Amino acid sequence: MATEARERIEARRRLQRAETPLAVRDDSQDEMIVSFPEFVFKEFIASVAMTVFLLIVSIWLDAPLLNRANPGMTPNPSKAPWYFLGLQELLSRFPPLMAGVAFPTFVIVLMILLPYLDRNPSRRPAERKVAIILFTLYMLIAVALVLIGTFFRGEAWTWNWGLVLGSG
Amino acid sequence: MKVLGAAWDELYSVMAQMVQGLFRHGLPLTDKIAARTALTNFFLHIHPVRVRRSWIRMSYTLCLGGLSFFLFIVLTVTGLYLMFYYVPSVEHAYQDMYDLKFVVTFGGVIRNMHRWAAHAMVITVWLHVARVFYTGAYKKPREFNWAIGTTLLLITLLLSFTGYLLPWDQLSIWAITVGTNMARYAPIAGPYTRYLMLGGKVVGANALLRFYVAHVVGLPLVAFLLMVVHFWRVRKDGFSGGL
Ligand code: HEM
Repeated sequence: MATEARERIEARRRLQRAETPLAVRDDSQDEMIVSFPEFVFKEFIASVAMTVFLLIVSIWLDAPLLNRANPGMTPNPSKAPWYFLGLQELLSRFPPLMAGVAFPTFVIVLMILLPYLDRNPSRRPAERKVAIILFTLYMLIAVALVLIGTFFRGEAWTWNWGLVLGSG
Repeated sequence: MKVLGAAWDELYSVMAQMVQGLFRHGLPLTDKIAARTALTNFFLHIHPVRVRRSWIRMSYTLCLGGLSFFLFIVLTVTGLYLMFYYVPSVEHAYQDMYDLKFVVTFGGVIRNMHRWAAHAMVITVWLHVARVFYTGAYKKPREFNWAIGTTLLLITLLLSFTGYLLPWDQLSIWAITVGTNMARYAPIAGPYTRYLMLGGKVVGANALLRFYVAHVVGLPLVAFLLMVVHFWRVRKDGFSGGL
């Protein structure tokens, strides 16, 4: 039974490899190790490092707590959380239906469909230049928009150097 | 003396039994013992027993998926602590945050940790997406796990977003007002979606309660379930390893 199942699994693996010849480096000769304790130890070290980092940041830097919420007093500018500021920036430039709805929906759908749209079987960076350039562009634009929204937008969403250069 | 000796022996054997029940195989001095330890321990069991060295190079995963998961755990633990002191009502929320900062033992540090870990998780999850993209790990046979991942990304953002409202200060209600205003632009469904999220037309008491319930129960449960599936698939699809 067990050997039969193992053979089936092996056969499936071989098939996967054969179907995606460029996809995977042949790793069948790589050294096998037991994941415990070496791998688990690596994870442990990473967790400890992260905990120490968080503790230091948290002792040194306070999370903001402004005045009590006041529905009658709208701050200017009102900003969304930072990871939505790219969207808010787009909203200030394009019609809301496009920037607020069509664009995010498009990105999410595109992301889910990506493995089916990208027909290139290779996983080697040198053989997927187009994909890498497009994705890098997307990431750079997203980061730039978030940075603009966070640091360069002042009252009424006008451009403002003051936040970066000191009072402006 | 003899009685004491016997009692000691008895105590020793009970303790040995306890330790054996916990760690069935002693110190992992040989590969065989180590492998059995991993197999019989529930928490270690999420790892494959044996892996190729090239699969777990830190320079490959950059540990980003693992760190995202670890941050999720940190957020759960610190979040539980905050829940002891926080009441999600318009009357209490802000004062409770204030007390956490200035009165509760370690309240300030725990609240800071919760906040910074949440920001950090948004960043590590994004970087994890970038890692998976650049290594082409979304390709066959991992298409489905990439889709689960996309859902996890959205839920991570929603978790952070719902948490944003809870301190009930000027930053929170206006950020949520701006954020939920974006939903309004969707044709037909937009205003309804916003109404459903807020339980009203403005960010008020209903919105606070809805965001709280989503933040501490609904979204974490879904996130946890999806993570379990995500990890299961990572193993079933085989780890993508080197290039
Ligand atoms: C809460 C968020 C997430 C957690 C906790 C998480 C966790 C993990 C972990 C622990 C791994 C193992 C390898 C590694 O550490 O890199 C992994 C692999 C993977 N993740 Fe995620 N992940 C999350 C979100 C995502 C997202 C947003 C995507 C993509 C849209 C994604 C796609 C993948 C894929 C395709 C793999 C397999 C990669 C390979 O085998 O090389 N994950 N994830």
